Amino acid sequence: MMPTLNDYLVLSAILFAIGTAGVFVRRNLITILLSIEIMLNAVNLTFVAFGRALGAVDGQILVFFVMTVAAAEAAVGLAIVIDLFRHRESLNPDSFASLKW
Amino acid sequence: MTPLLIAQIGLTLFVFVMLLSSAAVMVYVERKVAAMLQQRLGPYLVGPKGLLQPLADVIKLMFKEELRPLAADPLLFALAPILSATAAFAAFAVVPFGADTTLFGLLREPLRLQVADVNVAILVIFAIASMGVYGIVLAGWSSNSKYSLIGGLRSSAQMISYELSYGLALAGVLVIANSLSLSDIVNRQSGTWLGFLPRWFLFVQPLGFFIYMTAGIAETNRAPFDFPEAEQELVAGYHTEYSSMSFAMFFLAEYINMVTMSAVATDLFLGGWHGPFLPESLGWIWFLLKVAAILFFYVWMRWTLPRYRYDQLMRFGWKILLPLAVVNLLVTAAGVLYFGA
Amino acid sequence: MTSFYLFGAVAVGASLLVIAQRNPVYSVLLLIASFGALSGLYVLLDAPFVAVIQIIVYAGAIMVLFLFVVMLLNAPHEDTEQDLERMASRRPAAAGGVRIFGGALAAGLLVELWWALTKNGGESGVFPGGAVSSVRTIGRSLFTDYAFAFEVTSVLILVAMVGAVVLARREVVTGLGRGRPPGPRTLK
Repeated sequence: MMPTLNDYLVLSAILFAIGTAGVFVRRNLITILLSIEIMLNAVNLTFVAFGRALGAVDGQILVFFVMTVAAAEAAVGLAIVIDLFRHRESLNPDSFASLKW
Repeated sequence: MTPLLIAQIGLTLFVFVMLLSSAAVMVYVERKVAAMLQQRLGPYLVGPKGLLQPLADVIKLMFKEELRPLAADPLLFALAPILSATAAFAAFAVVPFGADTTLFGLLREPLRLQVADVNVAILVIFAIASMGVYGIVLAGWSSNSKYSLIGGLRSSAQMISYELSYGLALAGVLVIANSLSLSDIVNRQSGTWLGFLPRWFLFVQPLGFFIYMTAGIAETNRAPFDFPEAEQELVAGYHTEYSSMSFAMFFLAEYINMVTMSAVATDLFLGGWHGPFLPESLGWIWFLLKVAAILFFYVWMRWTLPRYRYDQLMRFGWKILLPLAVVNLLVTAAGVLYFGA
Repeated sequence: MTSFYLFGAVAVGASLLVIAQRNPVYSVLLLIASFGALSGLYVLLDAPFVAVIQIIVYAGAIMVLFLFVVMLLNAPHEDTEQDLERMASRRPAAAGGVRIFGGALAAGLLVELWWALTKNGGESGVFPGGAVSSVRTIGRSLFTDYAFAFEVTSVLILVAMVGAVVLARREVVTGLGRGRPPGPRTLK
C-alpha cells in the first residue's frame, strides 16, 4: 500500500502545528526562528505532495521560492537577533518590551 | 539474491575498504613526498622502505587514551568526528570510477562501477560536501577550548565561502555536458578532437578546472588554505582536544575528502576512465592514474606554498575566485548558446 | 509505506524535540535531522531535485547560519536568572498565561487541520503513477513560466543581504571619522 496524498497532508499538518506551538510556547528568539522554519517546511511538504498528485512541477518550483524566502528571512532575522542581543544581553522576546532604549 | 546484487554489495564493501586503505597510503605518500621535497629520507624503518609506517601509526592511535575535556559537551564531542568521517565516506558513493563491466564474463548483465547511480549525482556530492562543515563546527564548539572554537569558526567560514565558487565551477561543466549524472558527464568526454587531443572538459573549461581545484583545496582544508589547523596560531585548530581514534577519524576524513575531491575532478574535467592505449574495460587504471596525479599535486602544493593569511583567504575567495567563477559560468553559458552543446 | 512512516516519525520526533530542547545548539542539530527526514520524503515523492536542494540550502546554508549565531552569542539558555528577575518585576503571571494559551491554540490548529483532512474521506488522493519530474522540466518551467518571480527573488536576496549586513555590523567608534560618534544610543 502506497502512502496517499492524505497521509502526506496529515504529516504536514502535524509539523505545522509543532511549528506554531514552538512560536507560542518558546521564549527564545532563536528557537522561535527555528519554529518558523519548521512551519515553512511543513508547507513545502504539501507543495511537493500536491505537485506529485497533480503530476506537475509547479509544486516543486514553489518550494524553490519558499526556500529562497526562508534564506532571506533567516539572514535578516538572525541579524536582528544579534543586534538585539548586543543591546540587552538576552534572547527572551519579553525583554524587548520597550519601544526605545 | 541475483549475482548482480551480490556483485553490487561486494562493490560497496570494496569501495569502503579501498577508501580506508587509500587514506593509509596517502599518509605514507605524503610523508615520503614531503621528505623528498625537503631532501630528507622520510619513514624508512618500519617495514621495507617504511611501507608499514601507516599501520604502525594506526596501532599507536588505537592504543592511545581517549581524552575529553571536563567542560566539553559529551554528546556533541563524540558525534563530531563521526559526522566528519561519515560525510567523507558518503560523498564517494555517487562517484563512478570505471566503465560498465561484466567482471570477465562472470555476470550476465553489466555492473556499473559506482556504488549508487543517482541522476542528480553532482548535486548530491555538493550536498554532502556542505554537510561536512558540521563535523568541524561541532568539534570546535563542543571542545570548549578557545583554540578549537576559533579553528572551527574559521574553518566553517572558509568552507561556506569557497563552496560558492566550487558550486559555480561545477555548474560550468553541467552546462556543457547537459546532464547532472556523473556517468553521463564522463561518457561525454570519450574520443578525441583532431585525432590527438582527448575530449576532456579540462580543455573547454580551463578556468573552471582552476577554480574547482582552488576551491577544492580550500574545502578540504589543505595547505595553503589550512587555517583551521594553523599550528603556529591555533595549535591544531578544531581537533586540538581530540586524541586517539576520534582524532584518527578527523584525519581519515581529511584524506578521504582529498581522494573524493580528486575523483570528482577526474570525472568532471579529466575524462574519468577514458584514455588512450587501454581498452574500455581496463579504464579504471586510467582513473586511478589520474586520481593519483591530482593527489600528488595536492601534496606537492602543501610542501611548496606558504600558508595564506586569513583575511587574504577571505578576500581571495570573495573578491577574486567568486567573480571569476561567475564570469566563467556566463561565458560558458553564452558559448553553449552560440555553438550548441 | 514503511519508509514513509520512518521518515515521518523522524521528522515529527525531531521537530518536537526542537521545541522541547533548552539548548539552542541541540535544537539546531535536531532541526537538521528533521530536514534530512523531509528530504527523504521528497525522494519518495519523486522529487530528487527538491530533496537535494533541501539539504544544500536548508541544512548546508541556513542551519549553518543559525549554528554560527548560536555559537557567536555563546548559546544563552532560555530564562536566565536575569530574565526571570526582570520579568517578575514587570509582568508577573503574563508569561505563563501566554504559553498555555499559545499551546492550546497550536493544539486547536492541529485538531482543525486533522478534521478538515479526514472529513472528505481519507482514501482519496492516490498518486498517479509515472510522474517522475526531471531537473530539466523544473528548470524549463522555472526560467519560462516563473521567470518574473525568479528575477524578483534575486532582488529579495539582494535586499536581505544588504539588510543583514547593515543590521549586524558592529559600529567602529575608535576609527577616525568612521562609524557613528558615541551618542545616546550607545548608552545602555
